[in-house]
Amino acid sequence: MSDPTVPPQPPDEGMPPTNVTDPMPAMAEAFAFEREDEIERAVGEGFAASGGDVSGHATGGLWRTAGRELLRKKSAVVGLVMLTVLVFLAVFAPVIAPYDPNEVLFSEGVAPRDAPCIHLLGCPDDQPQHILGIDGNGRDYFSRLVYGARVSLLAAFVAVTFAMVWGTIVGLIAGFFGGAADNVLMRLMDVLLSFPSLLLAIAIVSVLGPGLINAILAISVVTIPQYARIVRSSVLSIREQEFVAADRALGVGTWRLLWHRIFPNALTPLVVIATLGIATAVLEIASLSFLGLGVQPPTPEWGSMLAAERNQVFTAPHLVFFAGLMIMWNVLSFNLLGDGLRDALDPRLGR
Amino acid sequence: MKRSMRLVSLLFALALVAAACSSGGGTTTTAAGGGEATTTTAGGGTATTAPPSGEFTGISVEASCDDPTNASNFKKIEAVDRLTVRMELCKPDVAFASKVAFSAFGIHPQAYLEATGGGGDLLDNPIGTGPYMLKQWDKGNQLVLERNENYWGEKAKTKTLVFRWSSEAAQRFVELQAGTADGIDNVGRDDFAVAEQSPDVTLYPREGTNIFYIGLNRDKPPFDNEKVRQAIAVGIDRQRIVDNFYPPGSVVADQFMPSSIFGYTPEPKWYDYDPQKAKDLLTEAGFPNGFEVTLNYRDVVRSYLPSPSTVAQDIQAQLADLGITVNIEVMESGAFLDASDAGELTMYLLGWGADYPDATNFLDFHFGRGASAQFGAGFPDLWDVLDEAATTADPATRLELYSKATELIKQHVPMVPVAHGGSGVAYRSDVDGGHASPLGNEYFAVMDPGGRDTFVWMQNAEPISLYCADESDGESLRACEQINESLLSYAVGGTDVQPGLAESWEANDDGTVWTFKLRDGVLFHDGTPLTANDVVASYDAQWDLSNPLHVGRDGNFVYWGALFGFKNAEG
Repeated sequence: MSDPTVPPQPPDEGMPPTNVTDPMPAMAEAFAFEREDEIERAVGEGFAASGGDVSGHATGGLWRTAGRELLRKKSAVVGLVMLTVLVFLAVFAPVIAPYDPNEVLFSEGVAPRDAPCIHLLGCPDDQPQHILGIDGNGRDYFSRLVYGARVSLLAAFVAVTFAMVWGTIVGLIAGFFGGAADNVLMRLMDVLLSFPSLLLAIAIVSVLGPGLINAILAISVVTIPQYARIVRSSVLSIREQEFVAADRALGVGTWRLLWHRIFPNALTPLVVIATLGIATAVLEIASLSFLGLGVQPPTPEWGSMLAAERNQVFTAPHLVFFAGLMIMWNVLSFNLLGDGLRDALDPRLGR
Repeated sequence: MKRSMRLVSLLFALALVAAACSSGGGTTTTAAGGGEATTTTAGGGTATTAPPSGEFTGISVEASCDDPTNASNFKKIEAVDRLTVRMELCKPDVAFASKVAFSAFGIHPQAYLEATGGGGDLLDNPIGTGPYMLKQWDKGNQLVLERNENYWGEKAKTKTLVFRWSSEAAQRFVELQAGTADGIDNVGRDDFAVAEQSPDVTLYPREGTNIFYIGLNRDKPPFDNEKVRQAIAVGIDRQRIVDNFYPPGSVVADQFMPSSIFGYTPEPKWYDYDPQKAKDLLTEAGFPNGFEVTLNYRDVVRSYLPSPSTVAQDIQAQLADLGITVNIEVMESGAFLDASDAGELTMYLLGWGADYPDATNFLDFHFGRGASAQFGAGFPDLWDVLDEAATTADPATRLELYSKATELIKQHVPMVPVAHGGSGVAYRSDVDGGHASPLGNEYFAVMDPGGRDTFVWMQNAEPISLYCADESDGESLRACEQINESLLSYAVGGTDVQPGLAESWEANDDGTVWTFKLRDGVLFHDGTPLTANDVVASYDAQWDLSNPLHVGRDGNFVYWGALFGFKNAEG
């Protein structure tokens, strides 16, 4: 237990109840515990409670430790780097992309699905440079690919955030109050879970009408149960902890208890699930767009770009390959990062 | 123990043999009964009944031309004798022979029509006279046809004909290259070059006897303003669409009708592309900053529109340059057609392929008095010209009238004609007799796939049903054409009208009485002989809305309605 990087640490007895001196007040607020000694007993009681036991360690908060742990994992670092590249593409798309993604370039003398032309690789200088060629509608494929990162990342983040918020609310209420509220809410979640998620998303979009917003909504609704379940299971174990009982005895209000004591302890598994959930959301947005139910033309999106050129697998394979590659890149980066985060945040997986 | 077991097994075996014998006897008796049953009913019409054998009693159906419930051009259909059918019309119809040859008017056995009640089995198990008969329709998978050994004409070259389908051009082409298909429809645009170079595959270009147009509904704002419609007409660069998204052999449409169809006139031509003029017209109409509109289409590949989504996106981009914001909305094929026919769509991509080579098939169907609401309320001045042209016998006068109609269409712009799409049919190189039909009705009986006993044809989609009186989809019609035949037919791979089930036909001088002489000895697939009564029954089931056999699949009988009109119509 002397290794400072191992998350489970004996609580610092001298810590004030609320760590107001922490350089990151918001974070500290979320992870401060009134009775560290009791939390210690929670260690090992489950993944769910793992968030609490390290918060008071002198070498820094849970997140700092986890961050250090994360950087030790090669796969997680790879994921992080891949994600950084994507975010860079998305943020600086107007600078990186040589053309407007929706600009039709027929007047420039290109034909649909022209092969890539790279001056460095011997393409004549008098031809305009298109490093990934031209798509079926006479637009610069590379520019569309770059702008596609924006749509894909944004849609996935919004979808997951939305699902996480609602899932957390449902999970907190169900787990904390139990009884009828638990029964009703979780049965509702079971109903949602009993559908294959993509099919349910397709059904929802079919009812609402195709479009990016509706696709995001559908994907969120479909994934709410995952978050609700995780939060509920954490809450179930946390609410039985003695520090909660003590708080109750001291007369702490229900909402304060929920928000300041229970929710912070349930946050860690949520973050891991959400990171992995973004990967799934990216895939589902792409799937819906592939089916024509997601992003509507002319907005560039990898799934719909793939769908548009699917018949050209043999005649212009690069148009299918790169859109697919970007989806894979995106999903892989979040998966690697999510795996790394899980390991870093899980005390039982310490080396 | 062992002996008793042996005894039991012996008894068991004996029992089995006895059971087998008795059931065998059973089947022979039922078979005999079945044979008897089919020989009875032969005449038995709705109007008169024929005696079981001997004398032929022809049936006849009629309606008054002055009767307001007779919305059709038919007056009388009569079986004069066993092999003669006479049809009387109210007004002359110069295209009548072309229409009669169309596959929606195939002849079915009268007894089978009555036995199925005009629907049900008739849709899935048709009985016809064609070179192929239905063997098995494995829905969602394939349609298997077998050679009709009793065919009246030259028998089919291949024993088994299999229809398969995929909406993906790439998949069809891969199957052709792999040899799992012997012929495919609609080669993808980018596969044309590959198909031309491949030694295993032979490409047959199909002439564009079709039209792809952008429909504009005059009832829906902002297209209720003629200037806005004209602005779209001027502001779409049709050449760019054809150059970039159509296969070789396609041409820019300068009017609604393709040049190979009677009624085409070189003048007047469509507007030249002029974006500045389009903007001026929009400003005049009160939309200097454009407007927002929804463009609907179905993501279904047809010869007239080989790549719907890219074309839709290009139109979106072109109109964006005029300041018009276009929201693209893809619809399911059936729902799309229903919505456009009901006049619910504002702007949409649709097309039309020739069914028979006459202007009435194009202009009257879309812009005539009886046309659907697809362009909104329609244009009465256009109706009058088309009515006059359809009842005029002199070709020169007709052409003049059609030129006038085209001028009116150009002025009103119910739609923007974009392209006559060329397409390609490809066969394995060892297929003998391969061809591409300008009407989309390839005739497989003349094809021989290098001596193999099965010919596999792959098209865009599955037939909806095999009772084509109530279908309008080319994918269904092509399958029907192998099984059922009409009185007349089109030349294989062409558009000329030639004898079919009728070996000859004649019309009186003013084109109101048509007499068809049927071939003798034609047998339906169930072995019953073809008579004039079958023709009358098949026609009346479509013509008469009150006929109990007027059932079909959805009961719309769109082709009959559009080409001839119904009797006993409400109001």
